[in-house]
Parts: sequence; structure tokens; C-alpha cells
Amino acid sequence: MIRIACLLATTDVAPDPSVQRALLRVALSHSPRVEDAGGGRVYLDASGLHGLFGDEPRLAARLCDMAGAAGLTARVGIAGTRLAALAAARLGPGVTVVDPDGDAAYLAAAPLSLLDLSKDLSARLSRWGLRTLGELAALPTAGLFERLGGEGVRLQRLVRGEDPSPLVSWKPALLFEESVECEWGMETLEPVVERLGELAARVCTRLGERGLAADGWEWVCRLDEGRLHVGALAPAVPMTDGAAVAGLLRLALEARPPRGIVRALTLRARPARITAMQESLTDRSRPSPRLLTATLNRLVGLVGADSIGAPALLDSHRPDAVGLGAYAPLPISPSPGKRAIRGEGRASGNTGALALRRLRPPAPAAVTLTSGRPVALRSSRLSGRIVAGVGPWRSSGEWWSKQAWLQDEWDVELADGTLCRLANDGSAWHLAGIYD
Amino acid sequence: MAIPIESSPPPGWDREGIDGLLGLFPPGRLSEIVGPRSSGGSSLLLALIARITTHGQVAYLDGMDALDPASAATAGVDLSALLWVKCGSRLRTALSAADLLARCPGFSLIVLDLDELGPVPFSAQMRLQRAVEDSDAALVVHSARHREGSPASLVVATRRLAPRWMGLHPLIRLGGLRSEVSIARSRLHSSTLSPLGRGQGEGQTWALDWSL
Repeated sequence: MIRIACLLATTDVAPDPSVQRALLRVALSHSPRVEDAGGGRVYLDASGLHGLFGDEPRLAARLCDMAGAAGLTARVGIAGTRLAALAAARLGPGVTVVDPDGDAAYLAAAPLSLLDLSKDLSARLSRWGLRTLGELAALPTAGLFERLGGEGVRLQRLVRGEDPSPLVSWKPALLFEESVECEWGMETLEPVVERLGELAARVCTRLGERGLAADGWEWVCRLDEGRLHVGALAPAVPMTDGAAVAGLLRLALEARPPRGIVRALTLRARPARITAMQESLTDRSRPSPRLLTATLNRLVGLVGADSIGAPALLDSHRPDAVGLGAYAPLPISPSPGKRAIRGEGRASGNTGALALRRLRPPAPAAVTLTSGRPVALRSSRLSGRIVAGVGPWRSSGEWWSKQAWLQDEWDVELADGTLCRLANDGSAWHLAGIYD
Repeated sequence: MAIPIESSPPPGWDREGIDGLLGLFPPGRLSEIVGPRSSGGSSLLLALIARITTHGQVAYLDGMDALDPASAATAGVDLSALLWVKCGSRLRTALSAADLLARCPGFSLIVLDLDELGPVPFSAQMRLQRAVEDSDAALVVHSARHREGSPASLVVATRRLAPRWMGLHPLIRLGGLRSEVSIARSRLHSSTLSPLGRGQGEGQTWALDWSL
């Protein structure tokens, strides 16, 4: 016979996550099967624990005492179903044990609010004049099904002391962390990198044993006088190769070394599950994730993190509205339909799309106008007489915000044949780009 | 008699058109696109990138931060297959980044777009050529000027012919650009070398229309 204990934190306000964690710790120290119901409520499988903790009243009292030792005020109920255990914990004097097979009788006097009902359903049952769980249990099942469907039958079974769903076992999150202390201290970077490499190898071994990889790494160096040096690394792809991770850690530490003597090191990995996937012959060729990650990290050190990525067009009509997204080569080749759309502008025959080379930021320019049309250009990048030009093409946007913009654009040809785009934002002229 | 795979282009392949030109850029070698402003060099580069992103990854080292992703998308480039590295108008940075990427297998094309930052010093060109020769990536350098003695296997020169304006009086809008692309030098092996012993495609020219 299944017996379930409900451990309920009694707080006036909504319990914070630390209360829930403490309840789970208490429950796990008594039973391996624990369900996290949230909201300061935890269920645990109390079957077969009498050999360890004595009979059920003693188990309930022990749970209550342990919660008190953890700084919580908790109530405990033990019954055959979750609902009856909750009722015992919530409505009982503090520690309540419901007799086996007595769930339905115990629940009969409990109020309907014990069920987590939706607002609509609660109002509907209230309109029917139902106040207690016993009144709901006494309704004819067929009529209840006609009016409320399967949900009504499920609720009625619960209040009759029948709960067929098993406990959903909660498991603590796995922590992949390794630490090392060094009493004599490490003054140079090389031993620090070596120790971190050893820690990375150990963490990677543990990850590999569970079929996991890490998509994030964090390290903490404890320095003299209690100071800390903290760093983080997010490889382009989840990794399990200790040597590769050690290489990345070396690069990161060389770019930003700890300032002081290192007394202790901690390395922590953020685990991620990798779905095994069959490679396809039709996939795009792409760099190996390990080499790519190492190369990208070196490039970040060279040009900066904000200067590398995959270009992304922003949803705006503002000129040069582009961003940089994370570069992650996908193994999946584009679908034929998508490819056809992308290929619309692709060069074929003897034609292709004309490219504009942007000037970032746009170069300030002095433009001479005759009858409102530009006839000469002078800027740091280009100067000359304008022999042909069309415009102005006016564009504007975001007039509803403080970032409102307005711009007149001209396409012009200089005397030396250069084709360029000029822009006037109402206050000054700029050379926006050169067609090439 | 077996037909070599190289002699069987895909359906729709136009050997005399831009397909034939883009097919000349050799993997594992250094190539150059040189030409003055508004001569179609960048458009040719985007056409090449668009072709490669259908089946591979492209690294674009942007020496002058001049890439316009909107133009690239219009040219058919799959932006998700493009690694854009902005080098902040620093030639040494761009060369170092190119060296790093040339040693990372898996890219099908590495573009070093220097434009007016170039030409690349001879020693750097040799180093890049050696870095890329063991890989399957084609390394293409785009610059305004060509340096004599370059180890590039293919040098493609672009020349402006005329802009194309829509309308007469008045002009209505810029329609595009017509340019001439020629193979200035080729060290590529050809199954049928010309009598002068020139490389594949050398001396061949294409008149190309780039539309806005």
C-alpha cells in the first residue's frame, strides 16, 4: 500500500526558492522518491520507512523537527493519496496521519478550495451549491462526466481517495564542479593554466560518463586577501574534450590574467545534453566544432567580441540596419524551397546584383548644389565633379520615438566614373557608400 | 571512356557566363580580385560568396568594415553561413585573422576584402598561400591594386565600362553597372593548354551587368 507524506511550509507570503530547496533537502534525507509540487509543498513516498524511522506518527514528527532545524515552520500530513496528505497537513493540528483506507472519509469534510481548481470551474461548482469535497464525491459520475467531461471524473476520483498517478520523482541538478587548493600560491600564469587544465579533464570525464557536454564554463580564482578573480567562457558548441577546453581556458586567462597570487581554483561546467545526429552527405561542409571554437576565441582576442559573428538584417528601414549574431554553422542544409528564395538574386548568365560598399561611419562631405542638385563633392574619401545623379530618395522612420530619423539619398556618378551614394539628414551631407 | 567529374558541370551551368568565371577560383590556392572603385569587384565577390554559401561556409574578413549585408542578401548570400570579421581598417589585424582562418579546416571560402588597405605585402601573401595550400578553402583577396610577383594562382581584374541609368531626361534612377572582368593571370592547370602555354582561362574576358 502506497503512503504519501506531504511536507508543507507555513508562511504568510509566497515561499521563496530557498524554502523550497530546504524542504526538498529534508524530504530527500528521508525518502529517495520526492515530488516537488512547488509553492512550499513537497510530497515524499512514505511507504516502507518504518524500519528506518519508526511508525508513521514518528516519521511525521521527525520530518517536522528536521524542517524546524532547517529554519522552517512546516506541517506534515501522511495519507494514501497526495490530496488527503495535503488536507491532513493543511487542516490538521501540525502532524496528522490519516488511517489507511480512510482518505475518502477524511476528505469528505474538507473544503473545495483544497483542489487547485480554475476560476471558472470553481465558480461553476459553487453555483451548483457544492462546498465540500464530500459533496463532490457524492455526485453521480455519469452526470458529472456529461457536464464537466473527463476533468470532472478525475476530480471526483481524487476526492474519493483514488489517485492513480505516481509521484513524479525530483532529482537535484547535477553539479559539475572541481576545485583545487594550493597552499603555497601560484604567482605565474602557467601553473594556474595547468591546474585548470587538470580540473577541466576531470569535469569532462564526469560529463562524458553521463553522456553530457558543457556549453558554458566558469572559473573562480581565490587570490590573496580574500579577493576573487572570476571568469566565464561560452564555447561556440558544447564540448567534452578536456584538451580543447584547456586550450580555450588558456586563451581566456592569457587575455585576462588574475592579478595576484592564486591560492585556490574552482572550475564549474554548465551541462548540456547533445542529441546524437546522423551526418548527411548533403549537409554543408563546416569547420570542426573544436577547431572552430578555438579559432573564434583567437579571433575575438584579435578583433574584439563585438566585431565577429554572422551578419543579421534588423527589422528596420533605417539605412545600414544590421547586427551581428552568434556564428553557429548549422549542420542542416537549407530546404529546397528556402534555397530557391535565397537564390533569387544569385548571379546567372552575365548578370548579378550590384554591391554597395558602406562607409562606417558615413564620411562627412561638402556638396555643392546647383538648382537643388548636387554638382560637386568633397570628402576625405572622394572628391570630384558630379556628372550624373538621381535623387533625392527620401526615407524616414521611427518618428514615434526619440530615435526618429529622416534622410535624403542621391546616387551620383563622379567625373572619374566612381558611383557613390550621398545622404543628407537635413543638417549635413555624408558619403554613405560606394557602389562597386 | 570515363568522363572526368570536372567536365560534367551541374544542370543550368553556363560555362561562357559568370558560372564559368566563378568556377575558376581554385580551392587550396590564393586568388586575387583587383580593380579600381566602382569596377564591379565587390559585386563579383558577393556573387562568388552566394555561390559558395549554397554548400559551404564562408569567412569574410572585412578590412574596411564595408560589407553591406543587405547587398549580400540581395546577391543571394545565405547570411547564416557567413562569418563576418570586422577588422577596423587595420591591415595587420586582417592579415593575422586570415592566417588564423586559413588554418581552420572546414571553410570553403575565405575572403580577405582589403580594397584600399591593400595590396598585401609579398611576405604576407607567401604565408597566406602556404597556410591555405593544405586546406580545401579558396582564399580570395580583394584589393584595389595588384602587387607584382604575387604568388596568387589566379588574378582577376575588373574594369568599369559604364553605369546604367534608367530614363533619359531626366534620369530616373541608377539601374546598375556594366563592367569587364578579365583573367589577368592564371597558374591553373588546364587539360588543354593554349599554344602560348598560358594557364586555364588566362586572357579570357567577361562583360557583366550588375543590377541594383
